[in-house]
Amino acid sequence: MNSQAERGSGERPRIDVPRTSAAGFVALAIVSWIYIVSGDSGLWELFTVETWKEAGDFLRRLVGLETDGTSAFLDAASWKKALRLSVETLAMSVLAAGIAGAAALLTFLPGARNVGFGQSGGARSRVGVAAFFVTRGAFAFTRSVPELVWALLIVFVLSPGVLAAALALAIHNYGILGKLSAEVVENLDPRPARALRAAGAGWGQTLLYALLPQVLPQFITYLLYRWEVIIRTTVVVGFVAAGGLGREFRLNMSFLHYDDVGLLLLCYLFLVVGVDLASAGLRRLAR
Amino acid sequence: MASSNDSAPAIRASEVGKVYGRKEALSRVSFTIHEGETVAVVGPSGAGKTTLLHLLAGIIRPDSGDINLGGRALAGLTPGGELSRLVGVIHQQLDLVPQLSVLQNVLAGRLGRWGLARSALSLAWPHERETAEKALDRVGLADKLYERTSRLSGGEQQRVAIARLLLQDPQVILADEPVAALDPARAADLMGLLAEIAGHSGKTLVSSLHSIDLVRKHFSRLIGLRNGGQLFDLPSADVTGDMMDRLYDLRGIEGVETFQGRDYG
Ligand SMILES: Nc1ncnc2c1ncn2[C@@H]1O[C@H](COP(=O)(O)OP(=O)(O)OP(=O)(O)O)[C@@H](O)[C@H]1O
Ligand SMILES: [Mg+2]
Repeated sequence: MNSQAERGSGERPRIDVPRTSAAGFVALAIVSWIYIVSGDSGLWELFTVETWKEAGDFLRRLVGLETDGTSAFLDAASWKKALRLSVETLAMSVLAAGIAGAAALLTFLPGARNVGFGQSGGARSRVGVAAFFVTRGAFAFTRSVPELVWALLIVFVLSPGVLAAALALAIHNYGILGKLSAEVVENLDPRPARALRAAGAGWGQTLLYALLPQVLPQFITYLLYRWEVIIRTTVVVGFVAAGGLGREFRLNMSFLHYDDVGLLLLCYLFLVVGVDLASAGLRRLAR
Repeated sequence: MASSNDSAPAIRASEVGKVYGRKEALSRVSFTIHEGETVAVVGPSGAGKTTLLHLLAGIIRPDSGDINLGGRALAGLTPGGELSRLVGVIHQQLDLVPQLSVLQNVLAGRLGRWGLARSALSLAWPHERETAEKALDRVGLADKLYERTSRLSGGEQQRVAIARLLLQDPQVILADEPVAALDPARAADLMGLLAEIAGHSGKTLVSSLHSIDLVRKHFSRLIGLRNGGQLFDLPSADVTGDMMDRLYDLRGIEGVETFQGRDYG
């Protein structure tokens, strides 16, 4: 009884976390709205007749209903160009995924803690531990810098174009793929490898017969997922690295050729859907 | 009842002990097993059966005592090719590579004899395929050659493990509860197969298992482990139900008194 009373009196008033945060949230929302409504935020422009008229104009130009001269959607030359750029963009994405995949495949092994620290066969060596930190560091650095920033850096060195754009995409995705596959190795079931070593297999043979067969299907799945993301990102990277649909997109925007922009967007849409379907099909095969 | 075998024993363990942290998994275990003998290791969960078999296979090293295989000190044998011809292991859990085909899992038994280049090539163009086919035929899986191993049932996978062992062709077969995951009929079937394969080629078989019926049927000798200690070492015909009851008794895990086992060798 005594101890209970003591605890009761000694207890600090507890904060009701959900209720306090809900109140805080409401207060913040009210203050934000007061700021937007009273200030010069351009909110009211959303509700003016001109804005809606302009948006409607823009949309009609985008789908080619209102152009100076023939619409890009009816022009064979425009189509040809758009298709060529689509193929170029597809090539860019495949190149990027290929470079990232090949580089990750060559370096993910030392990035796995159990390999570097010698827990899966092999002795723990200073070289292995150092290689672990170096590769993991490389994975972290390359993936923490966004593709767009890599593109900006690369066009200082390489001339802008498909290769520069592909390289920017590849470097960022290398870090992601490398980390993911190293983690697959860390989570592998150690028993098949242990059984192989007991049957007399050396380190290289264990790698070939136990590690790679277990890792590769997962790796291919990750690579295909990244390919889907890469094709989506090609447009933005193409803006700065001047390659594929992205470059043309930006040019036509600045020349106010909205019907061309619309055509490019359409091609881009088909490209993304096509890659998604191809990736899903290939992933099913890899399983 | 001294054995007439005067060549070096297949396995000689003397005062072998293994400690995990503060836990004595195995303490002062000694026995001699001759070529061609079939020995069952029995004992409740945690008795040290897996520890003992892994010590004999050279997968883990003892903290005290010595193990000799075919007259040679296990500590002096290099893992890989040489050791893999002396002992082969079938594990308690299924330790095949699930993504590989049955054929490749069986051929993996040859890795101790193959170089790296041959092993790599064999993944694309299987080397010694006929040998693997024969082994699979022997265990009754001739039609599953190209099946992905993960699609096989537990019993079939243990058969693949046996086929792999046939290709490894060691002098001593160590099997750690090879039938634990199977139903009684399949367990009896598989144990019979293992005993037959060992008997047919005169190999030494040491296996842990829990079924006293299977022990009586297929093994000539019984080593009882309890709490890391050797409770008895007797011909399986001499082991009484009372001894088995005491071995598996839940009470008195501490202070184990030992039966006086007959000296083999
Ligand atoms: N790697 C390890 N680390 C720590 N303790 C271990 C390890 N391996 C085994 N042990 C302990 O050693 C003792 C013997 O284990 P072992 O696996 O040999 O038993 P077992 O007779 O094979 O049991 P089961 O019938 O359950 O397979 C157990 O108490 C276990 O907890
Ligand atoms: Mg065990």
